[in-house]
Amino acid sequence: MTALLQVENLKKSFSIPAGPWQKAQTLQAVRGVSFELQEGETLGIVGESGCGKSTLGKLLLALLEADEGRVLFEGRDLQQMSSRQLRPLRRNLQMVFQDPYSSLNPRMSVGQILSEPFRIHGMKQGKERRKAVEHLMETVGLPVDYIDRYPHEFSGGQRQRIGIARALAVRPRLIVADEPVSALDLSIQAQVINLLQDIQQDYNLTYVVIAHDLAVVEHISDRIAVMYLGKIVESAPASELIRRPKHPYSEALLAAVPTPDPKQQRSAPSLKGEVPSPIHPPSGCPFHPRCSYAQPRCTTEVPQLNPIGSKRSVACHYHDRVGTTGATS
Amino acid sequence: MQPLLQIENLHTYFFTSSGLVKAINGIDLSLEAGKTLALVGESGCGKSMTALSLLRLVPSPGRITDGRILLKGQDLLKLPPEEMRRVRGNRISMVFQEPMTSLNPVLRVGEQICEGLFLHQGMDKKQALEEACNLLEQVGIPSPEKRLRDYPHQLSGGMRQRVMIAMALACNPEVLVADEPTTALDVTIQAQIMELLAGLKTKRQMATLLITHDLGIVAGFADEVAVMYAGHIVEKATVSDLFENPEHPYTQGLMNCLPRFGQKGRLQTIEGQVPVGGGSGLQCNYTGRCPESIDRCCEALPPLEEIRPGHWVRCWRRPIT
Repeated sequence: MTALLQVENLKKSFSIPAGPWQKAQTLQAVRGVSFELQEGETLGIVGESGCGKSTLGKLLLALLEADEGRVLFEGRDLQQMSSRQLRPLRRNLQMVFQDPYSSLNPRMSVGQILSEPFRIHGMKQGKERRKAVEHLMETVGLPVDYIDRYPHEFSGGQRQRIGIARALAVRPRLIVADEPVSALDLSIQAQVINLLQDIQQDYNLTYVVIAHDLAVVEHISDRIAVMYLGKIVESAPASELIRRPKHPYSEALLAAVPTPDPKQQRSAPSLKGEVPSPIHPPSGCPFHPRCSYAQPRCTTEVPQLNPIGSKRSVACHYHDRVGTTGATS
Repeated sequence: MQPLLQIENLHTYFFTSSGLVKAINGIDLSLEAGKTLALVGESGCGKSMTALSLLRLVPSPGRITDGRILLKGQDLLKLPPEEMRRVRGNRISMVFQEPMTSLNPVLRVGEQICEGLFLHQGMDKKQALEEACNLLEQVGIPSPEKRLRDYPHQLSGGMRQRVMIAMALACNPEVLVADEPTTALDVTIQAQIMELLAGLKTKRQMATLLITHDLGIVAGFADEVAVMYAGHIVEKATVSDLFENPEHPYTQGLMNCLPRFGQKGRLQTIEGQVPVGGGSGLQCNYTGRCPESIDRCCEALPPLEEIRPGHWVRCWRRPIT
């Protein structure tokens, strides 16, 4: 069975133009990412800010042009297509954005916002379109009589529902959701997570969920990929990654998440230092300056993302030591 | 024993063109030296306004309309503005959520830290710079002498927040107010900053008011918690008591809708939205969303009552045991 989405050695860098005090520089945002995603699966992508996860999301939908590598959607390379060739395919590929405030046009009513996808793809006319919009609103739990209201009349959670409805309109196969709940309050966050899970089942959707909240990602993902400085350092089934992280960075990231239970506080020392600049990534393993397991070899030799067992892969020379002497039990 | 800081019956209202908004509708809190009180709640519940009220920095058209804020027995709300200015940044200081917007972008970090030292401690430039360097070292900034000469944009988010903390600590405050100090930061940096704050609290015996929406942070770093909803405190207890036996239906709802590691399936939700404009004071503000609501909840606002020693709840359905 071929995967719905196949990503091979994807790379993207941005050039920072020379300014009065500095030379032109290159920022390598995504530095060789590969993975496969089966239909109906959810892949969670986690990492700290600046690790390239949002850039990766845009590359997957061909909203950005990659420097190198391929993104195969049902075997066809999106990165090689012209925008005209892409257009009919875009129906299958939709995005849900982080900020429900800035991703909706304030001058369009909900009805207009939700009609747009149909108009662009020439689907459904007149009464039929209106009916489809009303059906979408029902699906995402918005009262249908709000159809003529404008985005500012809605709360954050309702706006995110509008964003989800818009992505859902043309019956996509793949949805990339970039931080879909991080701007929402706790009680609203749970409603939106449930909605995402419900429509995934009803519409047989495949998700790539980009988020920094590990508990949220674990909850909705089948598999999690951990990114650090533009590379995937570990990829594993969600529950296994949370239970037994194999990369020192995954381990440290997990240890840093505050547990909402005063009796289960980890005494793990927090990760030292900050994410190095993606303009000058460290030599060898990009994580070695912050890693408690680092050996001399790590400063020179770049570890490859190698499979361990049948379902996991990790990019660490000393992954077999992680968890045995490490901070978490 | 008298607490270090006591807030009594505080009301902060906003007189907007579209009507009265009761941001804080009568809250009581007390802070003790060396202890952290966490104030949790969703956006719009009044937690940030509580912090601003404490420093008398409520923006117009808001106004503190009633209540007392006692710092060692002295009512801050009665102080003339010049004297209040001597309290602010000196005896009570604040760490804001967004370190980029709360630092001055055109002043060097050193100058900003020194400002408080000139103003409140009467230091000269040399002393102040030395002290600033010392402070940066305490908050874990490497090569502090060099960093003093940096502008905020040259620092990372985590470093900026450390600078904010250094500024807040400059005059040895008795009370530190931290309003979502780590919300804008990554988890690994968040852990570093929270550990730093916890260490400083113990070392300096400060009373800390920690405002957050993250129950994980509360569990790890607070001694006591107050849960706010629509301008009222609905529950107040020690951290262990609150997490073990949450009593108010809202607190229970919040705990249940949290995704936790290793738990799959549907999340429980709290239906509906936070009411806008604060409550009327004539009924329980949570009644529209509450699964346990009874007629009485719509008829009168329940009082905040101590149902067990140290555990206060504002709910008609929780009798005193």
